[in-house]
Amino acid sequence: MSQSSNQDTVLSVQGLGVSFGALKAVHDLSFDAKRGNVTAIIGPNGAGKSTAFNLISGAIVPKTGQVKFEGQVVTGFSPDKMLSAGLSRSFQITNLFFDLTVHENLRLAGQYLEHGQGWWAPVQRSQAALARTDELLKQFGLAYKSNELAGYLSHGEQRRLEIAVALASKPSMILLDEPTQGMSHADTQETAELIASLARDFGLSVLLVEHDVDLVMRVSDHVVVMAQGIKIADGSPQEVRANPDVQTAYFGDKH
Amino acid sequence: MLDRFNSSTSKPNAVRLLAIVFFVTALMFAIIGTVMGDSFYVRLATEALIFGGLALSVDLLLGHVGLLPLGQALFFGLGAYVSALVLKEWAASFWLAIIVSMLFCAFAGLVGGLIAIRSKGVYFALISFGLAQVFSKVIYNTRELGASDGMTGVPVVTVIPGLQTDNPLGFFIVTWLVIGGIYLGLRYIMQTPMGRLFGAIRVNEHRVCFLGFDAWRFKITAFVAAAVVAGLSGALYPMLRGFVSPELMFFQVSGNAIVNVIVGGSGTLIGALYGAGLLTMLKSILGSFTVHHHIVIGLLFVVVVIAFPRGIVGYLVPVLEARLSKKKPGEH
Repeated sequence: MSQSSNQDTVLSVQGLGVSFGALKAVHDLSFDAKRGNVTAIIGPNGAGKSTAFNLISGAIVPKTGQVKFEGQVVTGFSPDKMLSAGLSRSFQITNLFFDLTVHENLRLAGQYLEHGQGWWAPVQRSQAALARTDELLKQFGLAYKSNELAGYLSHGEQRRLEIAVALASKPSMILLDEPTQGMSHADTQETAELIASLARDFGLSVLLVEHDVDLVMRVSDHVVVMAQGIKIADGSPQEVRANPDVQTAYFGDKH
Repeated sequence: MLDRFNSSTSKPNAVRLLAIVFFVTALMFAIIGTVMGDSFYVRLATEALIFGGLALSVDLLLGHVGLLPLGQALFFGLGAYVSALVLKEWAASFWLAIIVSMLFCAFAGLVGGLIAIRSKGVYFALISFGLAQVFSKVIYNTRELGASDGMTGVPVVTVIPGLQTDNPLGFFIVTWLVIGGIYLGLRYIMQTPMGRLFGAIRVNEHRVCFLGFDAWRFKITAFVAAAVVAGLSGALYPMLRGFVSPELMFFQVSGNAIVNVIVGGSGTLIGALYGAGLLTMLKSILGSFTVHHHIVIGLLFVVVVIAFPRGIVGYLVPVLEARLSKKKPGEH
């Protein structure tokens, strides 16, 4: 996953901060994510990485700072506007249409590709949405579960569907919130491979919040380390691993 | 009461069969009633269809978008009053009354929706209930609208040359066509991306926004559509009975519509019509034996909800699907 050095910045986080009462959950967080890279935010429990994720994705409105995506300030955008800007997200706690089939979950998300056309025609005529659905069913190995209700899938399959749904609108960047949450070892391996391939094979920019450090070090191009609400290090996996502050804050207990 | 069964995910065959059975049975019933010279039952069947229209509007909100409208009778009653006013005061024209009622209810639905859609769950239900209470009491106390007595003397009008609203079978057929049209229209909408998004909102509204769609827009669209459907059904009422009264907006009417939907099967559309048909008939038949028919209906409701939590149609569809698919191999 070697990258050339002249890549442009797709997502730029500048001085982002929010407090909950007296607690500075995230303070003055800045970093850039490069196009086609996997950028990861890691940190020990309570480091503020999930809050940072929510600030970037628009789920929480930041008190300070801004988020620039493709040069456009998207700070505090509503979720549907965020998706229109090309920024999609997945959820830490699986958030699907459990009472609908796998196919319908993907088709609903793929409907975005119709760009508001064909609202008066039956969905069988939504060519772009249906084509995208078939493509994702194949790509995520869910074709054989197409007519199954999403609620009846195994946990690993639901996590995969979660990512597939987030990709259906063909975003240019995807934010993944703990994608391997609660997964078995085998499923985690598969997901790691999947995340790497999103950037490598599909040219997507990925921002990942993840507690599994091994996975992050394996798939990421760029790692942002947080502790107690602030960024303590920022660099390639090798640089971050070698950083003494990170070793103290994060890997400290290993040594 | 929001069941997994849903018209947007089920195969259409069984639902289509049940719809054909419903509309054919209703028509046969009215024709037999007319042949036997019993216009009471023909008019009762017309009324059942009219309340079926109200139930359809409730099912659109409850069974498809997941909003519980405790005051949907508001729009039914508004449609009825506007229709009566147009016929009495403006022009005795069937079509004018229908169109003005629909337009008025679209506007009322938009205003009501802007107020009610802001809230979710039980709060939406209570705002819907509150709006209907306020307006029914206002009309109840407005002398110009007949106050508690309502308005009587709605004239008989011509629908098409040779067919007047006082012809029991003729007006039954008019109502049958209107309600059938509403049913087919709603059925079609449920197959479009908009209808599918209604279903998605019912299942997981939070997620819909992250698919790039503004859930609020779809909810207000559904709310206005439901108001128009309820208003159109209500507009037929004074043509059938010759009067309107504030009771048409009371909670009893909204509550009955919800019972119709749940007994028939919420989220199925045709279930709303089965529910309205069965309960209207049952009330009339039981009412002729005892004044305590509400007790029997109440008990029946409890039994149906426990025994068939998906309603009559919700129970029948999988059974019919199984039958239909079993038959196929034998048919070559």
